[in-house]
Amino acid sequence: MLVLTRRANQSIMIGADVVVTVLEVRGDQVRIGIDAPRSISVHREEVFRELEAANRAAASPASGALEGLAALRPPPERKNR
Amino acid sequence: MSLVDADLPELHFASGLPGFPDARRFVLVRLGDELSPFSVLRSLDDSPEHPSGIEFVVTHPGLFFPDYEPEIDDDTAGRLELQSSDDALLLVIVTVADPVAASTANLLGPIVVNRHTRAAAQAVLGSSGYATREALVPTT
Repeated sequence: MLVLTRRANQSIMIGADVVVTVLEVRGDQVRIGIDAPRSISVHREEVFRELEAANRAAASPASGALEGLAALRPPPERKNR
Repeated sequence: MSLVDADLPELHFASGLPGFPDARRFVLVRLGDELSPFSVLRSLDDSPEHPSGIEFVVTHPGLFFPDYEPEIDDDTAGRLELQSSDDALLLVIVTVADPVAASTANLLGPIVVNRHTRAAAQAVLGSSGYATREALVPTT
């Protein structure tokens, strides 16, 4: 892992168009600003990992389970808005 | 309660889905009869783990979670070229459980589809408080 030391308001460039800026350091928290093209998605790692795990758990359920699911309906009291 | 057109053409996820970055082309197929609230999102791209393609069960969140009104971030909206919320079809992925009544929906990462272009992405609602496993039916 590349390790760089930066102060508040200093930045790091990743490639030619991603700029990561340290905005504020307070105690054990660091506020970071990220400028990146729209094609690059930026997420907190733990949220993204949680979504990966959720997608893997949901992927390709057994076909037997699907038959039962097709009969499941929304609870009637929640059907109408 | 028409969730999807049976002949909805291919959906294109330009950057795949988290965990499945190579799954880009999907079709949406109804699961069960026409009253079924569920559809299957079926990948047309195979992967080492799923040689015959990946499938996800999806549903219209409004059917099970009438109060669910996620705010789609500007980046997702921009990437999908959504001009207004009318352009977007919102789906959520269902984790099928045994028994099926214990199945859950992923409200943290809804699937957003541009109805006109069929461009699609899984949004990541980082600070929304929504969870990846919300019960479809109350557990009382």
